This record gives sequence, structure tokens and C-alpha cells, in this order.
Amino acid sequence: MSNDRITIPIGPQHPALKEPLSFMLTVEGEQVVDSALRLGYVHRGLERICQRRSYVQNVHVVERVCGICSHVHSSTYCQAVETLLELEVPPRGLYLRALLCELERIHSHVLWLGVLAEILGFTTIFMYTWQDREIVLDIMEELSGGRVAHAANIVGGVSIDVDEDQIEDIQERLDNLEPQLARFVDLVHNERSFQARTRGVGLLPTGVARGHCAVGPTARGSGIDVDVRRDTPYGIYDQLSFSVITVDDGDVWARAAVRAEETMESLDLCRQLLKGMPKGSIKTRAPRRVAAGEVVSRSEAPRGEVVYYVRSDGSEQPARVKIRTPTLPALSTLPIQLQGVNTADIPVVLAGVDLCIACADR
Amino acid sequence: MNVSQIVEALQQNFPDETIEVRDVPMRDTFVELAADDLHAAVTLLMERFDIYHLSTITGEDTGDAIVLFYHFWDGQGLTLCTLLSREAPHIPTLTDLIPGADFYEREVHEMLGVMFDGHTDLRPLVLPDDWNSPPPLRKEEEEKEDEQ
Repeated sequence: MSNDRITIPIGPQHPALKEPLSFMLTVEGEQVVDSALRLGYVHRGLERICQRRSYVQNVHVVERVCGICSHVHSSTYCQAVETLLELEVPPRGLYLRALLCELERIHSHVLWLGVLAEILGFTTIFMYTWQDREIVLDIMEELSGGRVAHAANIVGGVSIDVDEDQIEDIQERLDNLEPQLARFVDLVHNERSFQARTRGVGLLPTGVARGHCAVGPTARGSGIDVDVRRDTPYGIYDQLSFSVITVDDGDVWARAAVRAEETMESLDLCRQLLKGMPKGSIKTRAPRRVAAGEVVSRSEAPRGEVVYYVRSDGSEQPARVKIRTPTLPALSTLPIQLQGVNTADIPVVLAGVDLCIACADR
Repeated sequence: MNVSQIVEALQQNFPDETIEVRDVPMRDTFVELAADDLHAAVTLLMERFDIYHLSTITGEDTGDAIVLFYHFWDGQGLTLCTLLSREAPHIPTLTDLIPGADFYEREVHEMLGVMFDGHTDLRPLVLPDDWNSPPPLRKEEEEKEDEQ
């Protein structure tokens, strides 16, 4: 019977999936030979909603594209509108915006490592990661009032500010977080059972990753040296120093190594931002009406390049807002990563992609 | 990415066409060319300039035409724009050159009804399987929705 092929539907509602996504997996024995996926179960038509709301209202619409990296979406959108308005955001506003972006990256990566650990059977690591993620969420909650949806961005800057005591307090908490993050890096590099489950699983060679326009940790885990923060600096990233982590292995382990090491880079970026935080205003006043024009705004979200195309026709509402989230190119690599894997490794490969279906559907 | 070299190369390859170029803020350049030339232009970008990263495809119905924007990126943006007729919009697929264009083309297909010639699988990506109405981002559909 080993040559018989069976097609197994998984999802859209499935106990192993955290978000609705539908798979048709064709297996031969215990090996995946083909897979097809179907999106759309949480499609909310956000691009169209943006056309019917004002530029100001849309900040809150785009913040709901993603339930994990909400801040980077409103940042990228505000950046687009500010460029169309030719507004100069005060440096302090840009620093605070970037601070939340980097905290968000730490929380997203640590959350992801916990999800992967749980799937691998490392419940202890899942508990540790999510406990440490709380440190970051607490900081973000104190800064903005929200754990995940921060509503910190406005067109022209940010609506949150910090005082000296808060900066000192955040620095202290980051100091406490550092050894924990270092422990996760150590785990990825040295824990044998972690490596046994992730090495050589979900392979994505460099050339294939390029062809599928992979972004973020998926691309960097396949040896593609790319990071929007460095390659097309936006905000104040040209004034900060950080390393872009790349690993050539192209498997789930490589993606884990990239993300774990990136949390250390982001922690360092947070320190640079807190230390160099300039005094002054956090926002500048923005007009409601935007002159006709178009812009392509890019940012590096935790999952990779986010793209917003915004076109204005001179009215108070945008004529077109196109949102490309990093999950979409990551999903397009999934059938390749699943090719030939053992059925027991399917959840590991799915977790390795860092899926955010709400993002992909919009 | 040297944009002026790219534009020059495109102009040399398509001498009969007028290629319009405009700079867009945030380090992006928009190059407008004919739909028939798009596939050859992308081949040129890939072979001569090693530009392979297609960030996404934006489709828009302006009321007069369907506009497609192919957003490429290589440290800075290069967007190829092309106009299609509203009656029967079609354009060659890029999936043979860039497999990653698959999802983007499928989304433009379902949202605006653009046919990508040569694409083997234009199933809906985000709309329901039983979607019977016209493509939702067509101008008349948007206007209908606005009236409600």
C-alpha cells in the first residue's frame, strides 16, 4: 500500500491550527508529496475599507491588519501619508515609533519561539518564552496603554511620550530580559533535541527563496542578506547600528537561529533608542486633505518586508491603499518546504513559517 | 540599482515605445510601459540587472482603465506600470519567471478580473468559492457599494 497516495484535508477549522487556513496535503505513506493551500477565511476587505475612511481613521484600520505586529502596519501607513504630505516628523516621534517597532519584534520572535517549542514538545521552553514575552508586553502597555493594539501612531508622529524615570525603568527591565534572550539563543545553537527536530526540516534553498520573493527571517534563514531597515533606511534607522543576521542552512533551525539572534539585536536597538532619545515634540500637525500623489512605503516587520502603496486623488480619503504583508510570500514558499517531509514534521514546518493568516487575508 | 541604466536599457529594447518615467518619494521610480512589453522587460531586469524581488502587484480600476503596478525592490524601488483595457483586461503571466508572482496575480485576477495569460491556476485566493458577483474592486462595484 506504500505507493498509494492519499489526499488529506486540513482546516480551515482544525485543532492544530490557531487561525483558519485550509490545506490539501497529498501523502504517500508518511511522506508529503504535494500540498495546496487556500486562504480567505478571515478576509475582511481592509484595503477597500481604507478607501471609504479618512486618512486619520485609516491609522486605526491598518493597525488591525495583524494581531501581533500591529504597530509596524500603522507606522508604514503613517510613513506613506506623511511622505505624501511632505511632513517632517520630529525626531523624538521617530525614536518612539522605532522603539515600539523593536519591542514588537522581540515580542513577536519570542512568541514564535514559544509556539515552535510547544509543537516540538518543549512545553518548558514555551512557558519560559511566554513568561519573558510578558516583560516586553508590560513595557509596551505602560508606554501606550495597549498590549498589542497600541494606537501610538498618528499621521505626523506619535501620541505617546516617555519621561526620564520611565526610560530608566525600561532600561532596567531590558537588562533583566537580556540573559533570558541569550538563553534562547544558546538553546537554538546547543540543545541537541531541538536541533534533531529542526535541522534539515522544511528546506528552502537560496535560489528557490529568491524565486518566491521570500522576505524577512524566511529569506535570511536561506542565506539572502536582506533587511529593509538597512537597505532602504526609513525613520531613524540610518542613525542606528545593528547587524543583519543571515544563516545559510535554509531549514526550520536556520529560521529559529535568525529570529533568536535578532531578538538580541532588537534589544540593543531599544537601548540605543532610549539612550539617544532627543528632547522636543513628538508630533507635528497634519492637514486632513492630502495633495494628489502616490507613494510606496516599506518597513521591516518581524516577519519581513511590509509594503503599503498609497495613492491620493487630493481628497480626504485615499483613492487606493494596497497592503502586502510578509506572510503572503512566506506562504507561497510553504508547498516547497512541505515537499518530502515526514507527516510528523508538518506542524514544525508550518510553525517555522511564522504564519499570520489574518495578515495574509487582510 | 542604477535606475538611469535600467531605463536606458528598456528604451533600447523597446525603441518604438515611449517609456514614461517618474520619480516617486521614498526612493521609488515608476516606469510606464505597454502591457505587451512587460514580460520582456522583467526578463531584462532579471538577466541584466539581477532584480528578482517582486514585492507585490497593485491593481486599480481608475474608471478609464485598469492600472497594474509591479513593485520591484532591490535596496530601492522600481515599479513597472501598465494600462489595460477595462473591457477584457489581460496580460502575460510572470509566474514562469518569478514563481512568487502566483499569489499576487491571483489576487489581482479575483479583485479586478484581469486575466493572466499562461497562468495555470487562477483559483480565488481570498474571495469565497461561491462568489458570484463581479470583481469587487471594479469601479462600478465600488460605486454600488458607496450608494448603499
